[in-house]
Amino acid sequence: MKWLSLLTNEWIKIFSRVRTWIFLALPIIIIIGVAVYDKVTTDEEVNNNWKQELTQTTNDDKKALEEAKKNGDDAFYIEMLETNIKQNEYAIANNISPYETTTWQFMKDMAPISSLIGLFVIVVASDIVSSEFAKGTIKMLLIRPYSRWKILLSKFLATLGFAFVMWLVVIVATWLVGGLAYGFGGMDQSYLIVTEDQQVKERLIVEYVFANIGVEFIELTALVALSFMISTLFMSNSVAIGVAMFTLFAGNTIVMLLATKDWIVYTLFANMDLSVLIDGQNQLIKDLTLPFSISVLAVYTAVMLAITFTVFQKRDVKA
Amino acid sequence: MTTHTLELKNLTKRMKNKTIVDDLSFSVREGEIFGLLGPNGAGKTTTIRMIVGLISITDGDVLINGDNIRGNYEKAMERVGAIVENPQLYDYMSGYKNLMQYARIMPDVTKERIDEVIELVDLKYAIHDKVKTYSLGMRQRLGVAQALLHKPNVLILDEPTNGLDPQGIYDLRNYLRLLANNGTSVVVSSHMLAEMQMMCDRVAIIQHGKLVRIDEITNQEDEADVKVHFLIEGDISQAKQVIVKMNDGLAVTESGNELIVEASDVRFIAELNKQLVLAGVLVVGIQRKTKTLEERFLEMTRKGGDVSEVAVPVNE
Repeated sequence: MKWLSLLTNEWIKIFSRVRTWIFLALPIIIIIGVAVYDKVTTDEEVNNNWKQELTQTTNDDKKALEEAKKNGDDAFYIEMLETNIKQNEYAIANNISPYETTTWQFMKDMAPISSLIGLFVIVVASDIVSSEFAKGTIKMLLIRPYSRWKILLSKFLATLGFAFVMWLVVIVATWLVGGLAYGFGGMDQSYLIVTEDQQVKERLIVEYVFANIGVEFIELTALVALSFMISTLFMSNSVAIGVAMFTLFAGNTIVMLLATKDWIVYTLFANMDLSVLIDGQNQLIKDLTLPFSISVLAVYTAVMLAITFTVFQKRDVKA
Repeated sequence: MTTHTLELKNLTKRMKNKTIVDDLSFSVREGEIFGLLGPNGAGKTTTIRMIVGLISITDGDVLINGDNIRGNYEKAMERVGAIVENPQLYDYMSGYKNLMQYARIMPDVTKERIDEVIELVDLKYAIHDKVKTYSLGMRQRLGVAQALLHKPNVLILDEPTNGLDPQGIYDLRNYLRLLANNGTSVVVSSHMLAEMQMMCDRVAIIQHGKLVRIDEITNQEDEADVKVHFLIEGDISQAKQVIVKMNDGLAVTESGNELIVEASDVRFIAELNKQLVLAGVLVVGIQRKTKTLEERFLEMTRKGGDVSEVAVPVNE
C-alpha cells in the first residue's frame, strides 16, 4: 500500500516541527503545575472538616439567593445558586465529600484543558494545507502519481490522528500525575448532579471522565474538519490560522449573545461544547441534548469535508 | 520508428475569456532534450503546469508514455520527474528527509538509489543539514535530486538554471545530456536563448500561447541560413562583379567592406576565394556565419530588428 506512505509523510512533517513538541509538552507542564500547586496550597484541615466548610458555604449561598431574588437578578444565576445549595445539602446528608481528590476527580477537574488542545489542533489543522501553498511545496507533492483527493485525505487523517494522539497523551498524563499526587483509587467515587426536575443524583466520576474522553474525540473531529476547510480555502497559512481562530471565537460569542433564539441549536458553534451536555448542568442552551448535538456536528463535518475536497480537487495551482 | 514519450495534442488553457495556451501540439522523442522557448508570459509555465496536472486543461490532451493525464493521471505520472519554477522544499527538514518524503511515495526507490542521486548532485556534504541553511544553488540541486529519484523517463524542468552559478549550469547541462543519452526525454523551458541553444536538441518557440515553430538545433547549422563573409580590401563592387559573373544566380550582397555570399559548402567557399584572388581582389578575411537561434527567435516573435550575426567556426 503505497498510499499509506502519504500518511507517513504527513505524520513526519507534523512531528518535524518544533511547535508540535511544544504543543504536546505545554498541557503536560500545566497538569503537573496544577497538581503541585494544589498539593502545596490545600489545607488538610479544611478537607478533614469538610462538612463544616460546606455548611458554611451553603449558608452563604442561601443568603446570596435571597438577595438575588429580592433584586430580581439573572435567572441563570439564581438557578445556579439553587443547584449548589441542593447539591451541598445532599452531600452533607449522604456523607459524600466534594473535597476528596483521587486521580479520577483530578481528571474531571482538568477536563477544561481540552480547550487548550483544541487551540493547538486548530493551529496544526489550519496550517497543514495552507502552508504548503504558502511555501510552494504543494507543487512538489501534487505532481506525484496520486489523485488529489488521496493527498488531501492523507493530510486530513494525519491531522485527525495528531489531534487524537494529543488528547490521549494528555489523558494518560493527567491520570498519571493525578495518581501520583492523590493515589490511583477512587473508581467508585461519586459526584452529585441536579436533574431537570430538581432531583439530586449521584453519578460515578469514572463515568463522567470516560464520557468526556469520548465526546472530546467527536468535538476534535468537527474542529479539525472546520480548520482543515479554512486551511484549504486560504492559501496563506497565517491567514488560515487567523481566520480559524477568529471563526471559533466569533462563533462562540455569537452563540452566547443569541442563546435564546430557536434556530441557534442548528448552528455549528452551539453544538461545539459537548462535555457540558454529559450532565446537563448549567447548560447555556436548554434544548440541546447529546444525541442531537452529535448529529448536528456529523452533518456539519460531512458538509465541510465535501466543500474542502471539491475546492481542492478543482483548484489551479499557481503557487 | 521514434518513440514519443510526451505528446501534447491541441492543448488549450483559457481563463476568464483569455486564452493563455492556444491549441498547442508537439511531441517529445525518447532521449531528446526539448526546449520551450518564449518571452515571459508566453505560456511556457502554464503549459508545463498543465502537463504535470497542476492546473486544469480547458481543451486538448497530454499523453505521457501513452497514458492520458486527463483519464489516467496516476499511471501517467509514474515516470515523470519535474521541477516547476523554483524547487520549494521543506525548510524545517534536512535535505535527506526531504528526499525521503518523495522516495517513500514513488515506486521502487531504494536506499542505494537515494545515495546515488545525492552523490550525483554533489550534496553529500550537506545532506543531513536543514534545508533552511541551503544556498539557492544547493536547493536547486536538491530539487534536481528529487526529480530524478525514481528514474523518470520524462523529466520536466521549468527554468532550471534559475539561481545556478555558471559552474552549476555547466554541470546541469552535462548531466541532462547524460540522461538524454540514456533515453530520458528532458523538457526544459527558458526565456534565455543562448542557454537553450547550448542545451537542447529541439526548441519549440512559443508566443502568445501559440507554437510559432520547432527548430532542430544541430552542430551542422541549417544550410540555408549559413552565409560567408569575405572581407575585401579595395573596390568592393568590383569584387562583387567577379563573383556574380562566374557564379550564375548566386545571391551576393555588399555590406561595408564585406561581400556576403550564401554558401555553406567548404569546397565551394574555397573556390570562391580562388576566383577572387585570381581576379586580383585582395581578400583579407573569410568568415562563415550562421543565424543563431536568438536571431530566429527574435525574427519569429517580431521583437527585434536587424541583429548582427554571430560567427561559428568552420569545422567540417
